[in-house]
Amino acid sequence: MLRVDRRLLQNVDWALFATACALDVVSVMTLATLSVGRAGAAVALRQAAWFVVGLLALVVVACLDYRRLVRAAPALYLLGLAGLTLVYMLGRSVSGARRWIVLGPLSVQPSELFKVFFVLMAVWVITSRWAQPVGRTTLVMTLPIAAVPFALIIKQPDLGTALLLFPVLMILLVGAGLGLRLLGGAVAAGLAALPLAWLVLRDYQRERILVFLDPFRDPLGSAYNVIQAKIAIGSGQLLGKGVVGATQSRLAFLPERHTDFVFAVFAETWGFVGCLALLTCYLLLLLRGFDIAGASREPVGRLVALGVTSLLAVQVVINLGMVTGLLPIVGIPLPLMSYGGSSMLASLVAIGLLLSVRMRQFQ
Amino acid sequence: MAIGLAVTAAFVVIVGQLWYLQVLEGGRFLDASDRNRIRIRPIAAPRGILFDRHGVPLVDNRPAFTLSLIPRELPRDPASRDAVLGRVAALLRIPYQELQDAVARVQADSFPPVRVRRGLTLEDVAKVEEWRLELPGVIAEVEPKRVYPTSRFAAHLLGYVREANEDQLRQGRYRRGEMVGQSGLERLLDEHLRGQDGGERIEVDAMGRPVRLIQQSEPHSGAQVVTTVDGRIQEAAERAMAGHAGAVVVMDPRNGDLLAMVSTPAFEIDRFTGTIDRSAWLRLVQDPHFPLLNRAVQSQYAPASIFKILVAAAALQEGSLTPADRTECTGEFHLGTATFKDWKEGGHGTVDLQRAIVQSCNIFFYQAGLKVGGVTLARYARAFGFGAPTGIELQGEKYGLVPRPDRRGWPAGETVNLSIGQGAVLVTPTQVARFMATVANGGVLWRPRLVQRIERSDGSLVYSDAGQVNGHVELSPVVWEFLRRSLWAAVNDGTGAAARIPGLDIAGKTGTAQIIAKSKATLGQDHAWFAAFAPVKNPEVVVVVLVEHGGKGGGVAAPIARKILNAIFFERVAAIEVRG
Repeated sequence: MLRVDRRLLQNVDWALFATACALDVVSVMTLATLSVGRAGAAVALRQAAWFVVGLLALVVVACLDYRRLVRAAPALYLLGLAGLTLVYMLGRSVSGARRWIVLGPLSVQPSELFKVFFVLMAVWVITSRWAQPVGRTTLVMTLPIAAVPFALIIKQPDLGTALLLFPVLMILLVGAGLGLRLLGGAVAAGLAALPLAWLVLRDYQRERILVFLDPFRDPLGSAYNVIQAKIAIGSGQLLGKGVVGATQSRLAFLPERHTDFVFAVFAETWGFVGCLALLTCYLLLLLRGFDIAGASREPVGRLVALGVTSLLAVQVVINLGMVTGLLPIVGIPLPLMSYGGSSMLASLVAIGLLLSVRMRQFQ
Repeated sequence: MAIGLAVTAAFVVIVGQLWYLQVLEGGRFLDASDRNRIRIRPIAAPRGILFDRHGVPLVDNRPAFTLSLIPRELPRDPASRDAVLGRVAALLRIPYQELQDAVARVQADSFPPVRVRRGLTLEDVAKVEEWRLELPGVIAEVEPKRVYPTSRFAAHLLGYVREANEDQLRQGRYRRGEMVGQSGLERLLDEHLRGQDGGERIEVDAMGRPVRLIQQSEPHSGAQVVTTVDGRIQEAAERAMAGHAGAVVVMDPRNGDLLAMVSTPAFEIDRFTGTIDRSAWLRLVQDPHFPLLNRAVQSQYAPASIFKILVAAAALQEGSLTPADRTECTGEFHLGTATFKDWKEGGHGTVDLQRAIVQSCNIFFYQAGLKVGGVTLARYARAFGFGAPTGIELQGEKYGLVPRPDRRGWPAGETVNLSIGQGAVLVTPTQVARFMATVANGGVLWRPRLVQRIERSDGSLVYSDAGQVNGHVELSPVVWEFLRRSLWAAVNDGTGAAARIPGLDIAGKTGTAQIIAKSKATLGQDHAWFAAFAPVKNPEVVVVVLVEHGGKGGGVAAPIARKILNAIFFERVAAIEVRG
């Protein structure tokens, strides 16, 4: 199965691979600086271990033909849905959310891997012959594959991940050639349904949106995260405070500092200059991804590359937006940086898919 | 591709936001992060200790808890600051307005603590600690507090310590909530006794747990003061005065050292260190017996028969009388149409000068005073330090009064009154003590000394007082000798008999200051004086006792002086044995 082809090896996108690895190394280093306190180096070590696991997964995925994976998409998708249902039934609860399944020493977050399966499934549906030509039928066929997991994930509750599914699907549909008029109609319908969504939201989620609109609504409660993140980022100034000086992070004023708010830690430590370098890495990675999608002559490869890159892009933009106070806080990790094995694994699998598409672009 | 452009645009917006946060507003956020992590913990400096002449502390300090607000650490926006103050008010049952006022008076960004309430209970402290995270800028601070051996001990002499009042705040020398000596030695020596507060900057984590000490400035405790007071004598004098209103001054005639100074009724000095409530304060201020008044320096009385010593001295020195001159005392003396009476009905019969002192014969001294003349008497009174401050420097000292001749000259009636220490002459018990000391030591007018030296906590000397002579009274040695002998006789064979102690030669003079009769029985009673020194040969102490409305000096004041002298000369050995 793992037939090594010289042409495949020639087309490995080393730049993309190197950028992803660099981001992961930065992640481990940043987490290591946090362990000055009580937690010890455990967090950084686990992240490093997951990085290794993720790299293996990346190599495996890159070697596999992505078309095979798309063909297997319905099975993977159902597997993912089963995982989500399982979480719903016997998941571990952390700070009021059931997102994890405990497997011995590991806790797995199925929704993270599911995001990748979802992309594959969407590509499978859009490129299936029943959905051709791309139009209203395609739209109607693909909406349920987003809606079902949406319902499951929002129940966890995990608003951020749930909301991620729709923009990615829209980008895929447009990439597949969906008319903008149709898309506009769908988006309008979605917006019209927003008041309904308000009813579905939990109290704390509503509060977060209100706090975004007015951060000083409750400075010690919901807005605490935003304020502390802004203080952490801002106090880094131009050149950063260095590892020892990054008191917001080191002294735990910053909540969720190793997961969703890891960027604020980085920003406090390395300042504006460091942030600029990090953002450049991310932008290179994402533009490279879109480039791979554009360069692929084969529709399935094109959509897979577009889908996983959009998946990463939407997460990166939303996470950075919320940490810097531009967007309301929805729990979305920063791909490749935030602590979390499932997220790391999913992100590296996504990179693996990109590499796979790139390697086979001339086939 | 369009999507690539969209992502790039989003990144540009994020970079813009980072530029705003980190470069444009970076300084503000840096300050905010320092506010987050740095806590300022004041360390209050202990007030200096006052010691007696043997090194026994007259006051001490004990750690106590004080609720303080640190303005800089309070939330910045008014709404959440009010919420914090509201929580404190509810938690510790402090009026909300009081907290608001305390904070409103200081700069919002200042570091020094605003001390809101002293004397927190352990329960209160536990509450503050428990709610620490919800009460930024609110701390339970350890602040040394004055403690006293007993609640009224040397109250007037030591003085009370209390938070700076509005007047003192207006002068600008004190901060709100600062403890300031308000009377007595605490006030006189406040700038020395007051130490300099220190503080710590601590780095804390998000849970408020200290992580690291960033900076520390040690508090400098106040200077130690060695007074001239003898705690044992002070105690004995207070015991002897129990139940009477008045004053006792005990002085060393050899150097002017004040060994004891008592004023009764006393106030409970320890009531002031915490928060004294308004009603208790009003009760003290409106008490008809004026417990806050230090009668030893702040009250003036007619010297009465004690003044006869001075008349005798003047008469002998000026040659107006000799010890051999006699007068027939019939109990009455006529001057023009006025009749002056002796205190003893029927009179003392034939008396000479010594007999007149011993029996305190008024008739003899009326004549003696007229012979000497009012102007000369007033001159002698001034020479002995009456009518002028003693230099003791205790706040509110009264100067007393010595009459001056007016344009009409000096009416003879006034001289008659003056010669028995009545009329237009007023003295304080401290002035009388100094006068007696001058008689005892043969003419040296010492400034009363209360403070021997002041030392910093490291032992270096701030101030020392070797004693100071304010003046001399030049009398012939024969005259001094005569006075001492007569005063010895007054105790051993006269009006001061109640002060006699076998085995100790005491010289003394009684006095009964007549009060312009008021209808009320007790208030109309005369003030009783007794002024003594001992031993006669080599005087070591002067004891002056004044009992307001006590009646006869010989009957009330002399026994009190006896108790004090007894304690000084005969209980000392026992006390040392017990202590040793």
